[in-house]
Parts: sequence; structure tokens; C-alpha cells
Amino acid sequence: MIFEERQIEKNNFSSRATLLFGLIMLGLIAVLIKVFSLQISGYTDYQLAALKNKNYAVPVQSLRGEIFDRNGRALIKNEPTFDLITRPNLISDIDSFLEEIEPVIFLSVTEKLRYKKFQKEKAFVNKELVLKKDLSDEEIARFNVRSFNFQNTFIAKRYRRISDYPDIFSHVLGYTSRIEDDFKSMPEIPRSHWKDAELLYAFGLIKGRTGLEEIYDDYLTGKHGERVYEMNARGQLVQPLSFIKPTKGPDLYTNLDIDAQKSAAKSLGNRKGAVVAIDLESGGINVLYSSPAYSINKLSNGMSENELQALINDPDKPFFNRALQGRYPPASTIKPAIGMYGLSNNIVNWDFEMKDPGFFTLPETGRVFRGWLKGGHGKVNMHKAFLVSSNTYFYSLAYQADILELSNHLSSLGFGQKVCLDCFDEDQAFVPTPEWKYSIMNAGWVKGDTVNLGIGQGYLVATPMQLANYASLLAAKGKFIEPSLVLPGNQKKSLKIWHDDGFDDSDWNKMHEALLGVIESDYGTARSIRDLKEFQVAGKSGTAELVSLDSKEAYQEVRSSELLRDHSIIIAFGPMPNPRYAVSVVIENGESGGAVAGPVAIEVLKSLINE
Amino acid sequence: MNKLFQKIYFDPYLFFSLFLLSMLGLFFLFSASNADAGIVLKQFVYVVAGFIIMILVSQPDPDIFRRTSGFFLIFSLLLLGITYLFGPEINGAQRWVRIGPLSFQSSELLKLAVPIFLANFLFDKKLPIQRKEIIISLIIIFCCFFFVFRQPDLGTALIIAFSGLFVLFLSGLSWSFIGGSLIVFIISSPFIWNILLEPFQRQRIATFFNPESDPFGASWNIIQSKVAIGSGGFFGKGFGGGSQTQLNFLPETETDFIFSVIGEEFGFLGVLLLLSIYLFILLRCFYLALSARDRFCRLVIGGLSLTFAANLMINLCMVVGLLPVVGMPLPFISKGGSSLMSLFLAFGIIVSMGTHKKFLPQ
Repeated sequence: MIFEERQIEKNNFSSRATLLFGLIMLGLIAVLIKVFSLQISGYTDYQLAALKNKNYAVPVQSLRGEIFDRNGRALIKNEPTFDLITRPNLISDIDSFLEEIEPVIFLSVTEKLRYKKFQKEKAFVNKELVLKKDLSDEEIARFNVRSFNFQNTFIAKRYRRISDYPDIFSHVLGYTSRIEDDFKSMPEIPRSHWKDAELLYAFGLIKGRTGLEEIYDDYLTGKHGERVYEMNARGQLVQPLSFIKPTKGPDLYTNLDIDAQKSAAKSLGNRKGAVVAIDLESGGINVLYSSPAYSINKLSNGMSENELQALINDPDKPFFNRALQGRYPPASTIKPAIGMYGLSNNIVNWDFEMKDPGFFTLPETGRVFRGWLKGGHGKVNMHKAFLVSSNTYFYSLAYQADILELSNHLSSLGFGQKVCLDCFDEDQAFVPTPEWKYSIMNAGWVKGDTVNLGIGQGYLVATPMQLANYASLLAAKGKFIEPSLVLPGNQKKSLKIWHDDGFDDSDWNKMHEALLGVIESDYGTARSIRDLKEFQVAGKSGTAELVSLDSKEAYQEVRSSELLRDHSIIIAFGPMPNPRYAVSVVIENGESGGAVAGPVAIEVLKSLINE
Repeated sequence: MNKLFQKIYFDPYLFFSLFLLSMLGLFFLFSASNADAGIVLKQFVYVVAGFIIMILVSQPDPDIFRRTSGFFLIFSLLLLGITYLFGPEINGAQRWVRIGPLSFQSSELLKLAVPIFLANFLFDKKLPIQRKEIIISLIIIFCCFFFVFRQPDLGTALIIAFSGLFVLFLSGLSWSFIGGSLIVFIISSPFIWNILLEPFQRQRIATFFNPESDPFGASWNIIQSKVAIGSGGFFGKGFGGGSQTQLNFLPETETDFIFSVIGEEFGFLGVLLLLSIYLFILLRCFYLALSARDRFCRLVIGGLSLTFAANLMINLCMVVGLLPVVGMPLPFISKGGSSLMSLFLAFGIIVSMGTHKKFLPQ
């Protein structure tokens, strides 16, 4: 090549090389800008992403609060048991490990199989595994002596939710059961991490299902803690990074009374029924008992499938909480409410007298409504009508009532609505109205329906809780007690008073006098329980007819079949003249109210008053 | 001592910058390998051997490389053929050839052989280059590309193609030809996509354009790499302190993704330092190319250093998410003997071409 040509070639090369190297420079600058945008502009996002990669947070279960009665005695407590826990990642040979530990801790075949099944998986990710639950004292002692042989194994405390009275507080306290996660309480921890939660309960993560355990579940649970581990890309835990201690749930102090509940359970025996007792001063519910019951200890800590099925299929329906959900006709216990209606609406007054021939004839149709005593009670005024429980008197009073006004009046006394502030799954039962009857039965309201309502039969139904609330209102002369299971302080109560211009203090006094007479006078229908106690009690008993019959023969026949027998009911309060407690008792198929339900009410009042 | 330096062919700028880069590489590798001293020691041996090879290769006159360039290309292709026939299959690819206790990625040699051969073929041709010469060059480039591509090793095949194309471009390829072939390439790209690319390669490219489509599959690598670099911030998390690296969220930390380790543990500052060293090396190569004694030397220095630059750029762009994932180590930093040896070999040749003058000064 000649020199000139070579110079052209060199210039050509220089410009082309400059172009390519220039492009490379631009590329380097582009990379630098990209790195800048990742490391400087996007730093916060990527730092979070890196933390999310490596930080594995597991919840640390908190201890549930315990539940106490009004005297500070434990109703439900956390009872420690001991579990044997291993670190599978430190165990190289499972078989020889199991062989070594067997003389110290007895292992069943299923326990060994279960352990072998999960060992590898847990070892890989450095997580713990329970080898045996609920060690005996002997096993603990044996293990502690030899613990230096087992660096990969330790004993940890695990709690069980235990009540000393599992069978008599079953419905009111309720039971807990296992849950997969408590995601709701700690939304910052992913759902999948809950399977690795550090547990305090032998039964795992638990949640209240019924009763107080359910109603106050959040309160009792406290706050779960959190332990954060560093995790590598294969899901192995490398080391713990941080720990937030769980906060034990606060204890729950209730108005329940162990002795009174015990006496309710004892005096009801194995009959079906319910007892509710209320402290008039605080509105606290001292007794809430439904029979038959079941063991909450077993339900909360593992019950066999057979036992559970037997409970579910029991014809007596032990899971049914009769105190809050049982719908019973209030029968004669409604009479004070009907009386209040008559007085406040000026249909009758205390002096008004009528003749009771033992039956009431509906003028419109000639239909006959019978009293419970053949031949009647003679001349009755309101006082006597309460004492002898004259049906005729209240039939004729109800006959003059306006059904809409009467329904409103009954609702104002708490019927047909939930009355307890913190009861689990309370039924509101109902007060009938013409509208209701038309929608359900497609039939019009007739005068006879109102007349039947006058003695608490027919369509009106109430729960024992509503009856107890009604008894409290009568006892407190119109003050709404607003029953609650937990001591006031957890919730504010309103100060509502039942008031009517036509019903004044002297009416209340006369009412108390009459209801006192039901039990304490020689003519009272519940006088049979008069001598069971040292203090005076007012009340009203009732017998709820399940089948309405006109002939005595048919009635005898019905009595022979237990399930068709009348329910016996009583509401009572005492000690008079300044009542402190009100109580309602319903005994299914127990027949005569005063004689059957009465003694139960007296036993409960006795145990409450004599404390 | 000074006399010795005067007698040997030696470029102090390249020598010390490569030395700094290699030492930093060993340092980074220690952290990237979760403190595996064995790996670092092995790499150290390669580095030492590499410097010896570089100094030895710098000594012969460029004419020797020119005259042996045909043999070198045939030898490289032969090695590739041996790999194809006898090489063990690792992860679905045949890339390695074993000679005694040493195993070597045969395709690495082609990165050198192709540009040197083309420089020799083109250096005495008149400007502009004739169509016949262009076609012969392109056939050689395509054949070498295709053999390596079939291993399959898309990354290395691309680098080989680039190395040849750089020389062709620098030697004076006409602009009209470049424009024409670009149009042909664009038209034929659907064919390349459907027929030539392996499914996993297509998957990688698809993932690149939509990384969130498959966060636990193919795009896991690139997402984790970005998280590693991004979470490093300005100062980095410190030596051995990168959670993405140490807890293995980042894949291939010792090889393809070692830049992400540097980004995570040494932050933007570390990246800046590293890129400055690379920039310095490239600028020095640029200077040597311009001041080389003849057209052959210019073409070889330009081709080899731009190949090095392409290698670097592909790795950098891949780990920061500017390019799809292709297997490509970070030069002088990533673990691996083959690529390191071929790099030192290349820089040995560059030094030889850059320091030999026609008339030695007396």
C-alpha cells in the first residue's frame, strides 16, 4: 500500500473504532444509570423486598386470660402440662435416637410413626417437633436426670384449658377449639406462617367457640408475640433475629357464683331445664345453668369422635342451651304483667271484684276457657287472683285488652327481645301480634288468642333468661337491670326505668305484697315451698300446658307420656321486703310449677343470700 | 530490574489495572462463595497462571500471530469438534473438552481465533472491501457462531459472532452493506425466533419482557438480582453482609451474577469503582489500537478489546435487567478458569500488538 492509502485506512479505522468505543461508553453509562435507579431511587423498595425474602416471622402464642367467679374463685384456668420436644436437625439417626430415649420415655407405636413421618421435613428447615405430649411426673424426673444425654431434646411447658367444674358451667363458659391460624389478629404475618407458630397450649392455637370463651375471645386472647428468624432461599431457619413477647390475655371476672350454680345443678338433678339468677344491685348474672350439660374440659382438650357423636345425637340435646335458647310458654308467671297492663290502662283496679266460676265464656263465640280449679275461686280481686292464680280473672282482663297495646306492654318488659348484654347466642323468642299470626298462619287474630295470652298460654313464648329479667324488673319495681355475665366496668349500663302514669309506687307495693302472698300466705299456690327457708320470698309459679285438653281422661293419658307433660315454671325474688336476687326456673315436663320448680328456686336463692 | 523491563514487552497500565481487577475479583469471590477458601485458592492459581501466560504471549512479534492465525482457527475448530463428539454433557450442553486433568471450554479459543484470522484475511485488502471478501468473512463468522450455538451456548456464540463482526466493521465494511443486512436481519427475525432458538432461550427472552409473569420460575434470577443490587444502596451492606447473597436467594453468585453480589455488599460506590477500572482498561486498549504499528495490529487490538467490552456489557446488562438472561461471566471477576485463561491470552496478544514497533528505538 502506498503511504496515502495507508493514511486513509488509518483515518477510517480511527473513526470506526471511536464509534464502537463510544457506543460501549454509552452502554456503560446506561448500566450506571440503571444501577443508580436500583440502588438510589429504588433503594427503599428493594431493601424491603430483600427483608421480605429473608425475614420469616412466626407468631408466638399468648396465654389466654383465666375466668373467675364473683368471689375470685377460678372457673377456667390454664393448667401446665409438659411435652417432650426435639430438634430434628441435631438428630442424625432417628432409629438409634428413638431406641435411646425409649427406656426414659414410653412411646406408643403411633407416636413413633408420627415422629418418623415429620422428622426429615422439620430437620431440613431447622424446626422443632413434638415427640410426646403430656409427660408424667415420673417421665419428667427420669428425663431430667439423663438430659445431658439428649442435647437435641428438651421438655417444654404446654398449657391446657381446664375448669374444675366442667359439667355445671358448660353452657355459660363455653369451650375452645383448635384453629389453623389467627390471621385476623396479626394480619402482618402471612397465613402460611401460622403452622410454625410457637405454641403455649398443648392443643395448639385455640379460639373460644361458645359461651364466655367466645363472647370475650379477643379480650381473653391477649396479644400474640412474634419471633423473626433469618431464613435462607431453601426455607431453612438460619438464626433468630428478634422477639416480641406475647401479652397474656387479661383475666375475666364474672358475676357467676360457683356455690349458687352448684346448688342449681344439684337441685335440678338429671331433669331437663334451666335456672337463671340475677343480682338486682349489679345486674350480674349469678347463675346460668342448663341441664343436661357436658364436659367442657373434654371438648376443649380433645374428645373422641364417638363421645362427640354421642353428645350430638343425645335426644336430650345437651348442647342446647335451654337458659338462653329454650322457648317456653310463660304460663301463669305472665299474670303480674297482665295485671300491670290492666292497672295502668284503668281496665281494673286493686278493689275491683268479680266472681270466678271456674271458667270464662267468650261472649262472641261461646267458647269456654277453663280455670285450673273446678268450681272456681269464688269472689276474686286482683290480690286474690295472684294468690290463687285465678285464670278466669285474667281471661276476662285480657278479653278487655287491645292486643297491639298488650304486645307493646309485654315487649316493654323485655319479652320478645335479647335482654342479656353479653350472652352467647341468646334467642329473642317472641311476643305474638296479629300481623305475626297472619304472616305465619295465614289466619286473623281472634279475641280468643288475646284471652289465652292473659294466662301466658297460646303463642307467647319466653326464654328462662327473659323470665329472670322480668322477675328482676318486678323485684326492682320497674328498674331495668340489664343482666350481664361480666362485672360492670367492662361495659356501661343504661339506667332505664319501666314507667307508666297509671302505675305508681303504691301499685308496686301492692304487687310485691301479692307476689309475696303467692308463696308466704295460706292461700298461695306456691305455699308448699314456704317452709324450705328462713327468709321471705315473693314469686309466681306457672304450669305451661303443652297440650290443651278439655277432658280429665285425656289428661291422665297425656301425663303417662313424659315428653307431653306440662313444664313447670317459677319466677321468684327475695329476700323480702328488700329483694337482692331474682331467679327463674324452668323444668321441662315437670308438671305443677310451684311444687316442682319452686324448691330449685329456693335452693338457689338460699345459696346466694346465705353467702 | 529496570533493564529487565526494558527488554520485555510489557504495558504497565494494562498490567496494573488487570492486577487490581483480579485481586478485587478474588476478594469478591470469597464473599460470593459463602467464604469458601478452596474456591478462592483455585481461582488464585488461575490468576497467577493467567498473568504468566499474558506476559509470555506478549513477547513474540505480531507477525508470528499473523502467520499462525490459520492454524489457530483450525485448531480451535478441531477442539470444538472433539467436544462435540466426546465431550461430557453437563446440564444439557456439551461445552467442555478434557485434556488430562484439565478441562477447558473449547469455544473460548474461538473468541480469539476468529478475530485474528479475519484481521489476517482483511488487513492487506483494498478499501472498500469487496463483496467476495465480505461473503467469505461472513461465512466463517456464521459457521463458528453456529457450531457454538448448537452446543448450545448462545452467550459465547454471540460473543464469537461479535468478535468477527467487529473486525469486519473496523476493516472498512461499507455502510450500504451494513444498512442492507440490518433490514434482512429484521425481516428474518421471526424465523430466528421460531426455528433457531431453543425453548428455554425463548422463555428467557419472554421473561425478560415480562418478569412478573412468572416470579418463581424463569424470572426468579433476574428479580433476585435486582433486589440484591437495589438493596445494596449507596454504601452496600458490607463484605459478607448481603442477605441475598449469603442466604442464597441470588443464584449463580460465583459466576454470572457476581456483579449483583458486588452491588449488594459494596453498594453504588463499589459499582462505580469497578466500572471505572473497566473503563480505564478499555480506554487504554483504544489508545493502543490507534497507536499500533500496522493495520493488522490495529484490527486485532480493536477486535479483541471490543470483544472483551461486549462480554462485559452483556453480563452487566443482564444482571441489572437491561437484557435477557444469557450465560455470560463477568470478565476477570467471575469464577472459572477457561474464560480467565482466554482473557489473559487475549490481553497478552493485545500487549504484544500494542508494544511491538517496526523500528525498535536504540
